[in-house]
Amino acid sequence: MKNKKLLAGPYLFWSVAFVVIPLLMIVYYGLTDTSGAFTWDNIAKITTPENLKALGIAVLLSVVSTVICLLLAYPLAMILSAKSVSQSSFIVLIFILPMWMNFLLRTLAWQTLLEKTGVINSILNVLHLPSLDIINTPYAIILGMVYNFLPFMVLPIYNVLIKLDRDVINAARDLGANSRTTFFKIILPLSMPGIISGITMVFVPALTTFVISDLLGGGKILMIGNVIEQAFKQGSNWNVGSGLSLVLMIFIIASMAVVAKYDKDGEGTAF
Amino acid sequence: MIKKVSQKVYMALIFILLYAPIVTLIVLSFNASRTRAKWGGFTIDWYKSLFQNSQIMNALYTTLIIALLSALIATILGTLAAIGMQGMKKKSRTVFMGLTNIPMLNAEIVMGISLMLLFIAFHITLGFSTILIAHITFNIPYVILSVTPKLKQTKRSTYEAALDLGASPLKAFFSVVFPDIMPGVLSGFMLAFTMSLDDFVITHFTKGPGIDTLSTKIYTEVRKGIKPEMYALSTLLFVTVLILLILINVSPADSKKARKVITKRTKAVSIICKRVVPALMAIVLIAGGFYYAGQGGLGTDDKVIVYNWGEYLDPEVITIFEEETGIDVVYEEFETNEIMYPKVQSGAIAYDVVCPSDYMIQRMRENGLLAELNYDNIPNIKNIGKTYLEKSEEFDPGNLYSVPYCWGTVGILYNKTMVDEPIDSWSVLWDEKYKDNILMQDSVRDAFGVTLKYLGYSLNSTDLDELTAARDMLIRQKPLVQAYVIDQVRDKMIGNEAAIGVIYSGEAIYTQQENADLEYVIPKEGSNIWIDSWVIPKNAQHKENAEKFINFLCRPDIALMNFEYITYSTPNTAARDLIEDDSIRNSPIAFPDDEELKDCETYRFLGDEFDSVYNEMWNKVKAS
Repeated sequence: MKNKKLLAGPYLFWSVAFVVIPLLMIVYYGLTDTSGAFTWDNIAKITTPENLKALGIAVLLSVVSTVICLLLAYPLAMILSAKSVSQSSFIVLIFILPMWMNFLLRTLAWQTLLEKTGVINSILNVLHLPSLDIINTPYAIILGMVYNFLPFMVLPIYNVLIKLDRDVINAARDLGANSRTTFFKIILPLSMPGIISGITMVFVPALTTFVISDLLGGGKILMIGNVIEQAFKQGSNWNVGSGLSLVLMIFIIASMAVVAKYDKDGEGTAF
Repeated sequence: MIKKVSQKVYMALIFILLYAPIVTLIVLSFNASRTRAKWGGFTIDWYKSLFQNSQIMNALYTTLIIALLSALIATILGTLAAIGMQGMKKKSRTVFMGLTNIPMLNAEIVMGISLMLLFIAFHITLGFSTILIAHITFNIPYVILSVTPKLKQTKRSTYEAALDLGASPLKAFFSVVFPDIMPGVLSGFMLAFTMSLDDFVITHFTKGPGIDTLSTKIYTEVRKGIKPEMYALSTLLFVTVLILLILINVSPADSKKARKVITKRTKAVSIICKRVVPALMAIVLIAGGFYYAGQGGLGTDDKVIVYNWGEYLDPEVITIFEEETGIDVVYEEFETNEIMYPKVQSGAIAYDVVCPSDYMIQRMRENGLLAELNYDNIPNIKNIGKTYLEKSEEFDPGNLYSVPYCWGTVGILYNKTMVDEPIDSWSVLWDEKYKDNILMQDSVRDAFGVTLKYLGYSLNSTDLDELTAARDMLIRQKPLVQAYVIDQVRDKMIGNEAAIGVIYSGEAIYTQQENADLEYVIPKEGSNIWIDSWVIPKNAQHKENAEKFINFLCRPDIALMNFEYITYSTPNTAARDLIEDDSIRNSPIAFPDDEELKDCETYRFLGDEFDSVYNEMWNKVKAS
């Protein structure tokens, strides 16, 4: 059994080389200036009004879309988990299937749908309903986030729910709990690992996206992801970009800590 | 009953949310109009031209090969790791799980950037291999997370029994454990493949010049307008996967029903569904990959590496050039001057001929990046109008380095049915009446240029007071702006999305052809006149071929082909004389008279210091 452990060796090497060391590089760039001297300036850049605002908007939009995702996904996961096995595996695939159409094209398609003269408004027009004016606003960005990240909320919750022990639920019923009590006292607490994992899997990508705000926000709403992307790709100011990434990493580490606390056995995995 | 119905309705609504964009894309793939803003009738032309578009096909096969390789390697590494982790003590297993969680939870942008920094620090040229490494890295966790639960379910005792019965550990593993974890390994592989296919952000940061996956190709096209072939390709991909899934999922249900009467026939059908068809599809894809990869290969040494704006050359022209000269054209596109510059400067790839704009040519010249042209090899320079060569001297004194290719102005495109009065001034961009009906250019120099002109200053101003005034004007304008866009102005104006847009004159001709209500004007305060010219970088490896290429583009018939394809004004007077359509040959948009241009200036490079002043002010505007 001793040599079995060695099988993880290549992976350890790979992780250190391409996950750990690169992260240390960001720390290095974030804490030095262009001449290589130590500085806090890059991290302090987050406190300029523009960057603070970009971070604030990013946090706000990603919190809102995470909450919406959770509210949409939980009932859905419950419905799915009650289905028979062969049926539900097909339905789960339905959530992964859209990923075969390119993420950018899917997001861009929302432009066509939401524009003033777009598909949705044309339909509303025919029905003499008031038009939907959300393209190039934060609402469109939230919609784009919910649309893109919803599967990452549904799948972990679903995976926890199908593993729930039916006997526990039946026991609660036998002891006289109504369905409301059963849900809040039994099902919800037991599905916490899935919920927490879902929340981080939606919150982190939503917080850091620059593509969705680019495509659906009309270039008017700058999120922290846009600021960082511009620092690297347009301004080629790598030190500031790394400094701001370090700030983002604080949020990410916090999420990882929360996951580690609630989901000790890795039950709430998405897949 | 009510509960059941409401459940069904709820699922249907979510389903609509998920699939509405996909249906939209499928519909667009049959749209005869090139723009997504207008339905031009049903066509399957895009499906035909898709297979002739070597750029898209190359990107497709790069994507597929990277997805396949990265999923395969990640599956091997991940499965091994999962098995190894199972044999560990709790503590080290926790460390490994933590390591696995980093790529899963880390922001894509941070991961992409960190890998880019690593590759550059260790002088690994960004390209195919760096994308592959990055994809393997983010794919391994998916494999580990799908294999581990299956491993937990396997009984240790069966493995040990096999050992007791004399099987070698390897044999015992493959005949006892592996069949049990096979579903986990397979789903890990499929997930990894899907994730790799759908990734954009990490590829965006780890890719080098000259290589594109579908995602990065699409991102480039977003600014220029997505080619309809892209919709066709996505539809094909989607439908293929859908069919595969249905085959795999439906066949087991069938065999369950028919279990009692398993005939050879149903068995054969099931095997065909589950194995043969998917395998055939895989073979077709991979064979196609080698075919297209071979086609795009850099087999011959006699080549010229061209770096041009997106959609800025008729592809037919390249074919003719290759046929006539036998020189292989390696063609690559950039979106903005600012993205092009660091790539040429770094010398990561030695481009032979590049097409920057005026002020960028000045910057490249001043920084010693350009090679002097040998006009003995470019006799067709005689076709270029004198006025344009004179104008070029503003950024290239003596015309030593550049040959004009396209030129134009920046102006206002407006929809005649949506404005009340004739438009002749930049002031409409600040008119409250047009709130939410204005499209502004999403680039520093154009946004500031327009504003400075409106205020009566030079668009090359380096006066801080003037710049601050312009910045404040732009901040005041922001609530009125519908969106900041680059080339999307075109599609949005055609689709009647906005009343007014700031646009390049070259796009105006095309938009008028698609929507007759649109009119273009150069505002009376003056504007920007720009020239894009061909230059040869100093580190070019095939300078003579590059000069042949430039000379070829100056041939009147070729310049005419390009003009008709990209509709940007040509400085080639011989080509202009060949235009048959009077209204275009004398179009005031394509060829405005000198009177209109008297207040127009070219951009000049203002030095790195003012470059960052402009950028900082623009950030203030965007963040306001």
